Amino acid sequence: MTFLRPTGNWDGTRLAHEGFIFSTDSEVVERVVPFVLEGFARGEPVLVVAGERVRSLLARHLGTDLGRLATFAAAETWWRGGHDTLLAYDRDLRDLRARAPSWRLAAEPVWLAREDGREWSRFEAVANRCLDAMPYYSLCLHDAQRLPTAVLTAVARSHPLTWAGAAPAPQPAYEDPIGFLRAVQPPWTGRPGGAVVDVVTAPVQARRAMSAALPGDRRARLGDVVLATHEIVVNALRGSAFAELATWTDGEAFVVEVTDAGPGLPDETLGYVPPDPVDGPRGMWLAWSLADDAAVRTGPAGTAVRLYFRR
Amino acid sequence: MSYLDEGRRRDEQLLLIGASRPALLTACAALPDRDELLAGGRLDLQTTGDAYAGGSGLAPLEQVERYRAAVQEALGSGRTGLRVAADVTALIRDGRSGRRRLHAYEQLADVLMGAVPMTAVCLYDESVGAEELGPVAVLHPLQHLGDRQPQTHLSGRGPRLSLHGEVDLTEAEHVRTALVDVAGDGSGELVLDLSDLDFLDVAGGRALYGARRDLAARGIRLRLAGAPRHVRRCLGLFDLAVEPA
Repeated sequence: MTFLRPTGNWDGTRLAHEGFIFSTDSEVVERVVPFVLEGFARGEPVLVVAGERVRSLLARHLGTDLGRLATFAAAETWWRGGHDTLLAYDRDLRDLRARAPSWRLAAEPVWLAREDGREWSRFEAVANRCLDAMPYYSLCLHDAQRLPTAVLTAVARSHPLTWAGAAPAPQPAYEDPIGFLRAVQPPWTGRPGGAVVDVVTAPVQARRAMSAALPGDRRARLGDVVLATHEIVVNALRGSAFAELATWTDGEAFVVEVTDAGPGLPDETLGYVPPDPVDGPRGMWLAWSLADDAAVRTGPAGTAVRLYFRR
Repeated sequence: MSYLDEGRRRDEQLLLIGASRPALLTACAALPDRDELLAGGRLDLQTTGDAYAGGSGLAPLEQVERYRAAVQEALGSGRTGLRVAADVTALIRDGRSGRRRLHAYEQLADVLMGAVPMTAVCLYDESVGAEELGPVAVLHPLQHLGDRQPQTHLSGRGPRLSLHGEVDLTEAEHVRTALVDVAGDGSGELVLDLSDLDFLDVAGGRALYGARRDLAARGIRLRLAGAPRHVRRCLGLFDLAVEPA
């Protein structure tokens, strides 16, 4: 008989992030139940946020131990768009950190099955960087019967650990978060010839330019476009005397491109990093949350950011 | 000069305030009928020290009452109102506590001018610098700031103030300074109405967060009311709640 180590060599001082893809009920039970019981044995808060299938399996197999879970919640009601979902999650993590030295979580992001929930893979990827200091084991559950192949591939690319049968093991398909983001952002095609181009030296000029550029049938997005563009221009003008603004429409999307000749972004993942409640940058997080999609190209010769706004 | 001449044509009482009497006489040399206006008491010249400081520095409440009385006196002598052009650069150079009094005064004066027939141009020497001029500027509904476009106006009465226009990183810290200074040292709460604020960015949200903290340290609770959706979005990034207007 194999000796199970549900969290392997995890020492409880940093984030461990495992992607577990299941098909059958017994796979769920054999992975999650020992994981939960080990947490109880170690005195850690154990949280479960999952879909109906996983919840009912756990309820059946944990019996009265179910009541020892610090959280046992339905994942179906958690989705509020990527940014707001992560912000709420980040607050929960900060609360946990204030009251426990380490904890563990079994979570099933059921919204990955939705078209508008796919972006969650980007947050999962960036979490490996920005949540690294959080002392918890995140066991992410994914139902192979519900999720398309592209999502399951993204799970492997965004989770550094996978289940090897008796203990977690490094996931061979795991990618560096920046590489993952670059691969999944909208492809960086050439700027179309009909793009409207402006040069600005102050953020207020960018706001006026956006008000003028947004087509009449898209005015419902004006506030989003102006505020998101403003914040990116503010960043651009920190390291560059001027910024170039280009706008065009690409099918359903109104595209804003902000280009600068500054020294490059210190961290191009910040659009997916929940801001610190008190200090630190917020502009990219805000712009990314207002836009429907975003893409970045950055290096020592400058930065270009594209924001996409659908109708 | 066209500002004073407009007052002359409207039969308003004119008051010109500056560094010295000779300098003021030179400044208004081009005003039509200057000497007759002076002789008839319709044009008054005062030095900044005499008009504002009274030897002991600016006293915001008393100063506003002095102007209120001056308006009544002008109306009593058959004028249609009071028109003031005042070089108050000396007041802004009166240290941090002098600037705090100036900010409180400018806000009270803004309220006064909404209530009585008085207009005023406050003149500040540009050499003072943007850091000192910024907070003063946002306390004026009309601003002329060299080649910079004004964006923000902080106005209101008593414990309820309102912010108009746009607040972005270029004026965010000025708004914070002005807001904290006009709140004074009283305790209780201050409501800032944001219904007419067209734009607020992350820096503006951070400034209001900072203002709330500064005011809390003085025992004043800052409440935000009536912000449009995108203004609320930036405030939310700092956990600043907004109540209905």
